[in-house]
Amino acid sequence: MEQKLRQEAKALLEQNKVDWIIGFEPGSLKFTATPLITRDKNDTERLIINPFMVNNLADFLTGIEGRVGIVAKGCDSRSIVSLIQDNKLIRENVVILAVPCPGLIDLAKIERLVGKDRDELDDITREGDKVVVTVDGKKKEFSTTQTLFDHCLACELPTPQEYDILLGEPRPPAPELEVSGQNIAELKETPPAERWEFWKNEFSRCIRCYACRNACPACFCQRCFVEETEPQWVMPVPRWQDNLIFQIVRNIHVAGRCTDCGECERVCPVNIPLRSLAREMYSIVDELFQFKSGMDKEALPLMAHYEQEEAEDLFR
Amino acid sequence: MADKKVSKKDIAKLLKEWSQQFAVLAPSKESGVAAFAEWDGKDTGFLDWYRNTVIPPKASFLPPMEEMFRFRKGKEGYNIEPPPNDENKRLIFGIRPCDARAMSILDMTFKQALEDPYYLSKRKNAVLVGLGCTNPYESCFCTSMGTGPTESADVDIMLIDIGDDFLIEEVTDKGKELIAKTKDLKEAAKDDGAKAEQAKKTAYDKVTRKLDTEGIKDKLLASFDDEEYWEKVAAKCISCGICTLLCPTCYCFDINDEMVKQEGTRFRSWDSCGFPNYTKMPMENPRQEKWRRVRQKVCHKYEFYPMTYDVIACTGCGRCIRLCPVNWDITQVIESVPDKTGAKK
Repeated sequence: MEQKLRQEAKALLEQNKVDWIIGFEPGSLKFTATPLITRDKNDTERLIINPFMVNNLADFLTGIEGRVGIVAKGCDSRSIVSLIQDNKLIRENVVILAVPCPGLIDLAKIERLVGKDRDELDDITREGDKVVVTVDGKKKEFSTTQTLFDHCLACELPTPQEYDILLGEPRPPAPELEVSGQNIAELKETPPAERWEFWKNEFSRCIRCYACRNACPACFCQRCFVEETEPQWVMPVPRWQDNLIFQIVRNIHVAGRCTDCGECERVCPVNIPLRSLAREMYSIVDELFQFKSGMDKEALPLMAHYEQEEAEDLFR
Repeated sequence: MADKKVSKKDIAKLLKEWSQQFAVLAPSKESGVAAFAEWDGKDTGFLDWYRNTVIPPKASFLPPMEEMFRFRKGKEGYNIEPPPNDENKRLIFGIRPCDARAMSILDMTFKQALEDPYYLSKRKNAVLVGLGCTNPYESCFCTSMGTGPTESADVDIMLIDIGDDFLIEEVTDKGKELIAKTKDLKEAAKDDGAKAEQAKKTAYDKVTRKLDTEGIKDKLLASFDDEEYWEKVAAKCISCGICTLLCPTCYCFDINDEMVKQEGTRFRSWDSCGFPNYTKMPMENPRQEKWRRVRQKVCHKYEFYPMTYDVIACTGCGRCIRLCPVNWDITQVIESVPDKTGAKK
């Protein structure tokens, strides 16, 4: 699959069909892949496909000029389609190199399972529906349910639906909603006062690095409301109340755009379970509007259009 | 001088004793992220899990957010009420050599450039008790940055792991004084010094990431206008604040007022040169393009700081590499700076 990807990417640049290639190359740390953004055809030799290519590459599309050939897992493709729905991206300007994704390995889960940090492990390999971790020369087997990201366990589209070049065999979706939504279900069962305390604690350690926002392809505003000064919607200081307001408003802003790619939670340096909020909003949108972002490029953006019959009195 | 040592199982006793006169801060995961926090009086479990904290110890001296003063609008203008100086005696237990080095670098900014009372009041009474590393991360490169996993130059007291005990190195007068007053320390055995030397060598060899900084200041100066290079380096950066806010030597802060009716508070809080609205002027941000912001970050640490203080403002703690959402790696960037110094001459 990697060989084919390199050939296709190189050809796209050589034939001047794209100006840029966005994919992954080996990272500088164990078990990492890092985004490769290049216009040099020789760089395509470094393109890789592995279970550690965690970034949602669609995030880079709104900041780049020209035509782009982009490596897309199912989740990336949904974000690409969502950007097309919102008119932030022209379909003709992207060549989607689709990668059927077997799910990405959550290193934080592995660390908890084996009680060691990622850089202390010898090897992590995916073998069918097992993930094999080698620690101190000994092999330990885990199920994918134990080791994949929660958002991967909830994945509804492992293979992009919208693509130009398909690399490898399509994979059917097999969501494990119960496991992937377990912490959300537990949170919803706690009494409101307790839940309030929980989020207060979580947001007390937010440092306002905005990694959640900046890694989110749906957060494409050129000017975020937190940076507005007149009026000032929220203080830009990391006080828990302001942190919470920031995240709640962010979630409302990406409602109908969020594809549950899980990046907000993965990138958080202080371990705030942000996907719990994002996924809950995703489910609410689905329940209220039967809308799933990024599935159909012809669909109108949920929050950016309205029809007369659904309008409230205010609009009639 | 007879060296002292302390048994690992007596650390709780030691910290209890020090708690009598200091606010003891130790590594903790209580908040949900590894950080220095007020020691709870019993837990020494950190001795097992602690490699380094996510939140650097600078947070105890330059907190993510602090109140500078309160103000009230009166008849004759504003009344300003500064908070009392925070002169609490802090003891940071277990600071790593890279982070202690970072404190020395921060001191240059907050002491030499301008006396910052908020920082200095907290800093002047602080005691840094270093803990030598035995298990550095793969992202650590301290040995290339003028320090090392067991280096004691920037702490008051250094502890070196020699098995069941820590051998105590009394570094500064402040450290010597505290050790002299501390009860129940053991005399080091004859071969403990040799054990410590061996531990230091082992730790040093475990820091495998190396960075050649020879001539980097001049190289960066010569490549400052190489837009193509900087654009390439910046391409995958998402302009979040992780690498800067969590850098132990980054000190930029923003100032904001919050006012309700006639009263208000002035806060300062961590800021990052990576943010698009950093240094936003009445007109605009002079560093609108991402590559200019990435260049600023790199050059501030490896070019401007050395120009002013003759020291690189990076200690190789590796947080920016470990925590970066896109695996942007400062060591790769520094190594790839084109050498155009010859061309200039």
